[in-house]
Amino acid sequence: MAGKIKVLLSKLGLDVHNRGLIIVARELRDAGMEVIYIGNSFPKEIIHTAIQEDVDVVGVSSLGGAHLTLGNDLIEDAKKEGVKHHMAFIIGGVFPPEDAGKLKETGFDETFIPGATREEIVSSIRKIVSQKVSRSL
Amino acid sequence: MGRKERTTKEILQAELAGKKRTPLYHPDVLEKLRQEFERWRNATVRKEDRENWRAIPCTILGSDIQREMLYTPLSNPDFDYMQDLGHSGQEPFTRGIHANMYRGKEFTMRQLTGFGGPEETNQRMKFMLAHGATGINALFDLPTIQMYDSDDPLSKGQVGMSGVAIDSVEDMELLFRDIPLDKVTVSLVTHYPSNTAILFPMYLALAERRGVPWNKLRGSVQNDITLEEVVRSGPEYIPPKDCFRIQCDNIEFIRQNVPLWNFVTYNGYNLREFGTSGVTEMAVALANAIGTVEEMLSRGHAVDWIGERLAFFWSPANDFFEEVARIRAVRRLWYKIIKYRFHAGSPRSMWMRCHVQTSGVSLMREEPLNNIIRAAYHALASVLGGVQSLHVDSYDEAYSVPTEEAALLSLRTQQIIQAETGVTEVVDPLGGSFYVEALTNEIETRILNEVDEIEKMGGYITAIDKGWLHKKIAEYFYDERNRIEKGLIKIVGYNIYKAPVELPPINVFQYPEGVEERQKARLARLRKQRDNEKVDAALTALEDACKKGENVVAYSLQCARARCTEGEIFKVFKKAFGLWKPPVLW
Repeated sequence: MAGKIKVLLSKLGLDVHNRGLIIVARELRDAGMEVIYIGNSFPKEIIHTAIQEDVDVVGVSSLGGAHLTLGNDLIEDAKKEGVKHHMAFIIGGVFPPEDAGKLKETGFDETFIPGATREEIVSSIRKIVSQKVSRSL
Repeated sequence: MGRKERTTKEILQAELAGKKRTPLYHPDVLEKLRQEFERWRNATVRKEDRENWRAIPCTILGSDIQREMLYTPLSNPDFDYMQDLGHSGQEPFTRGIHANMYRGKEFTMRQLTGFGGPEETNQRMKFMLAHGATGINALFDLPTIQMYDSDDPLSKGQVGMSGVAIDSVEDMELLFRDIPLDKVTVSLVTHYPSNTAILFPMYLALAERRGVPWNKLRGSVQNDITLEEVVRSGPEYIPPKDCFRIQCDNIEFIRQNVPLWNFVTYNGYNLREFGTSGVTEMAVALANAIGTVEEMLSRGHAVDWIGERLAFFWSPANDFFEEVARIRAVRRLWYKIIKYRFHAGSPRSMWMRCHVQTSGVSLMREEPLNNIIRAAYHALASVLGGVQSLHVDSYDEAYSVPTEEAALLSLRTQQIIQAETGVTEVVDPLGGSFYVEALTNEIETRILNEVDEIEKMGGYITAIDKGWLHKKIAEYFYDERNRIEKGLIKIVGYNIYKAPVELPPINVFQYPEGVEERQKARLARLRKQRDNEKVDAALTALEDACKKGENVVAYSLQCARARCTEGEIFKVFKKAFGLWKPPVLW
């Protein structure tokens, strides 16, 4: 595909734990992607920034338990703004095993839990983005 | 440190240089031993072991300190028992702050508790107390930590998550229902100076309502600028200098009015968990403590007045002996600092009293039961190091808040160490070990060197403001991640000995439902029923105090009494001090 993959990363809501997401930010940048890290933000604001920056991927991180509620809001807002089909949505953090399935049902393209490796994250983002691109061609 | 002041390290060097040392080992004996050692090394030790005599344990949150294969008196030839160790309860307190340590007072078993609304957490606290916990450790939910009310749009979906939701003194009342405030010691995990200045007054107002005099209250708050300005990701920050001022206002007010309360707990824990070595963790906490004592002196207080109630909070991780040595090292170093730099006179001021929580970042999602073993080693190292109180993390924390079963198992881990292993009968059982003493010395030197680095750049607030600490952390955890991925740091069940088949799932905690609605309804009632003129007057008075430089806590107490909410009070701070943008971390 043409050009760099552009990724927006945000802590979802008021969650205080940002170590993991900062590591991911750096790893994606090292893997040649363009990364915009906006710190803590909320669904509407995240989608707004994603549109403004015209990103390929929106990645959010939640270790505080709000992944289902705020995750759902994020996808809903993405649908409302008409970007759900061409942007990839990814969520990582601490959540119970069955919630990974629920997040996918909600509309996330991929979920990552503690222990996800750099390789897993980078290759899965590349794969999802290329699928989205080929679908929208 | 605008003037040409000496750094703490320079002061200690000058003060200690003149002290006559009385080494335990006679030079002739050491010389003979050196010959024996060389002979043994050449004759008995294998060539490859000789060549790799020093090795660095590669562990999560390690400090990269080289270890020799065998330690002997030659590792610490200058060893002066009375000067370097002393007996327990005796200067320099290396062996412990009390002469009889755990024979006199068991370590306090203080498990973190917090989820849902105050009602749910109250139940869990009582459950833990009924099973033998000896203290309370209340953890707040994300909106409460970040200082937003449960009905703030920003709090949506997060009320009662990762801790308990507290909006006003009314919630404090429910949180401590049936818990006698004058009997139980309570740690309120108010990480930040700002939320300490908001939530602790609510606790004081609750004591007033119950007729419990403040001088009967025992417990602690955290109140640490490091947590508010460095180890946090949040939407809004007040500037470091104002945050530091609130930290000191809290200390001053609590010291004056709640004499048995520990008004600050220098929190190395969250900093280390975020990503630093055990050395940096302690150096930063000491630099913060030094800055605070300086500020208190400049406010006209005596060093012993503040020194007697300072407390610290550490994160014991995987490198077992490093953890034991670290606690001993920082106890000795703090003694030296408060005695020689600040001329404290009271022995109580010289005590590095500490709470520990076993390392959470060292726990893995893969094969979660392994975490029980990890946490038990962390806890054992802490007890061998002579800590005052403990929280043991639960095995299921890479999934969610601990279940009741997992929380109980953490408490049981402590009780087994205390009652079944016999380790508490002897004070500082590893004292005198050639290895542990050499490591204690090494770590003390390294901590002091990092304190020196911070002071030379202009002190702790500057280190935050310039982003030095933020960058150091980011480098550390990025590097650690690489080492784990490369397999240099070995983690059982994750990058070595991976299970060939998937193990059965564990029970995972599910948050109670309806908490957000309940909190919102209670807030709506509160805002309707309270005297809103009083509320406005209290908030205005607080804003004036912020701007005039008066101690803010006397005013936030009025706010708590008037049933102001946490979000309302934090808004005043934001308005009075403005917002600050923290440095970018990557």
